Amino acid sequence: MSVLLDVQELQTRFKVRKGYVYAVNGVSFTLEEGETLAVVGESGCGKSVTMLSLVRLLPPAASIENGQVLLRGEDLLQLDLRQLRDVRGGQIGMIFQDPMTSLNPFINIGTQMAEPLIYHRGMSKSEALARSAELLEMVGIPDGEARLREYPHQFSGGMRQRVMIAMSMSCEPAVLIADEPTTALDVTIQAQIVELVKALRDRSGVAVIWITHDLSVVAGIADRVIVMYAGYIVEEAPVDALFEDPRHPYTVGLMGALPSLEGETGTRLTTIGGSPPDLEDLPDYCPFHTRCPYAFDRCRTENPMLELVADASDRGHRAACWVDIREVEVQSNGAGASS
Amino acid sequence: MTTQEITATSDIEIAEASRTNLWRDAVARLAANRLALVAILPIVLLFFIAAFGPYLTPYDFLAQDFTARLASPSSEHWLGTDELGRDVFSRILYGARTAVSVGLVSTAISLIVGLVMGSLAGYLGGRVDMLVVWLTDVTRSMPALLLAIVINLTLKVPLEAWMEQMYLATKNTFFRQTMWVDLVLVFGALALIQWPGYARLIRGQILSIRSRNYVLAARALGMPTGRILTRYVIPNAMGPLIVAVSAGMGGAMVLESAFSFLGVGVQLPIPSWGKMISDGLRMWQTHPHLLVGPAVMMAVITVSFAWLGDGLNDALNPRQWGG
Repeated sequence: MSVLLDVQELQTRFKVRKGYVYAVNGVSFTLEEGETLAVVGESGCGKSVTMLSLVRLLPPAASIENGQVLLRGEDLLQLDLRQLRDVRGGQIGMIFQDPMTSLNPFINIGTQMAEPLIYHRGMSKSEALARSAELLEMVGIPDGEARLREYPHQFSGGMRQRVMIAMSMSCEPAVLIADEPTTALDVTIQAQIVELVKALRDRSGVAVIWITHDLSVVAGIADRVIVMYAGYIVEEAPVDALFEDPRHPYTVGLMGALPSLEGETGTRLTTIGGSPPDLEDLPDYCPFHTRCPYAFDRCRTENPMLELVADASDRGHRAACWVDIREVEVQSNGAGASS
Repeated sequence: MTTQEITATSDIEIAEASRTNLWRDAVARLAANRLALVAILPIVLLFFIAAFGPYLTPYDFLAQDFTARLASPSSEHWLGTDELGRDVFSRILYGARTAVSVGLVSTAISLIVGLVMGSLAGYLGGRVDMLVVWLTDVTRSMPALLLAIVINLTLKVPLEAWMEQMYLATKNTFFRQTMWVDLVLVFGALALIQWPGYARLIRGQILSIRSRNYVLAARALGMPTGRILTRYVIPNAMGPLIVAVSAGMGGAMVLESAFSFLGVGVQLPIPSWGKMISDGLRMWQTHPHLLVGPAVMMAVITVSFAWLGDGLNDALNPRQWGG
């Protein structure tokens, strides 16, 4: 497989009243053709900002300070707005978290779906509408032709997310970025949406970047996983390696917070104490050290780089930690939680 | 493209039949609102009278009948006559012209100013936004009536002097019609009082719609800015604006009457309901018909605009569409 998307040293920060907040700090990753990459991490860790940076859909206060986003060798950060618009929707499709508000309430579904087809593919209105009806059926909305004349308020949340998926896939993009597409939906609908994206991916061969904080979704859909914390990638691994052999204390903490099917009932789930730091400066320490049970002196003075883990079963398994957590006893339970 | 295997059943909603057009939907909602429907009648009637009043009136609004001064309502003078023997009914019909022209023109001026200022503030943000917000604050901090009185007192004399000069210079009789001075001052004062409301509304609309998810989604689909503006931002900003304009028209008419009542509005001989109420008030114990006619008209029109605005709000508010 060849590299489709190559992101290098991406850095995005937000201007705030007293200076800057560093949201994405030198993030590098690649996405191969047809691959599904999951990006996990808690709220505010820079997952969404990273993805919005790729196509420069950031709010006005944010600026991309550094980096390259190579889509088939072409740097998206160097494109002018016109060229960028062809990439958006045309080569990179996006689905967002809240399907209830992602459709324009004033335009019927057909017109809304036809717009990108007319704009990107140069179709006539009637061609675009016919294609939209097909697309609706493809995402599991029966009687597509009739539903094209309806308005968003006549669709349920799950249906709207299907429409969003159909729209983002309509111009056959090479990459589909799904930014927590199931978070706002019922659990049963979540599973349907995951299955739908899987089916579409398998049929069209689109590469998917799936942002989530739900590890169970990750296990079901992803080939590889990136774990983000405080604007850094702290661990990167193929999905099996990550679940079987997590190497970053944060990843271990995330796994520990998952309810187990086998564990004893009645016991409390483990949590990661504390909250992520506000990054008003680029840290010269490990951003996780205040919450980390393994933290020692070096963690407070030096920020670890993402490096290949020791005894890696896979070349792609990298983590940013000074400690080989397999060799160290946890000093005291939840040592970092109080600080 | 058969994909039965991923067809969902659990979240399929059976949509209500044949709701196809959003505006038609809104009209249907409006029609279902009895108060709003009732309110439309007097408003339509008002505009009709304003347009065709002179052809409908039994008497000229200036025609004086000294044999029938302060006459009570009769078959000859339906609503009686005033001190100078002028037919009250005819004057009310003419007064509709003043009310409607004030409502339309002052709303149009303040809407245009508000649109420009509000859009600039909303789009450009930063210093422009601060300046516009500051201007609206300053304007709104002054009591409306006081502002109108100040404008009338300070600008009327110089404006009339300027008109006189223009007449002497051009010999164009247009500049001799001093009633234009009144109208310009009243329109200007009303527009000055009302533009900050529209500017703030439009600014708020643009700020909020710009950050809506569907705008982000449209940008993520590569839609160009112009198309996003015309298809996404503007239609979604229309609802509250229509409501505000409806309420604003009624408000402008009431304000004009208030000005006239206080003697800073449209001056005689153009009939104005506010002026008629003001005059009628002096004799309401002996000749109540002078007060009742214009006051009832004023009340009916004001309430009608309020009800219509309310109905429009319900019909156009997306939060009430359900789903």
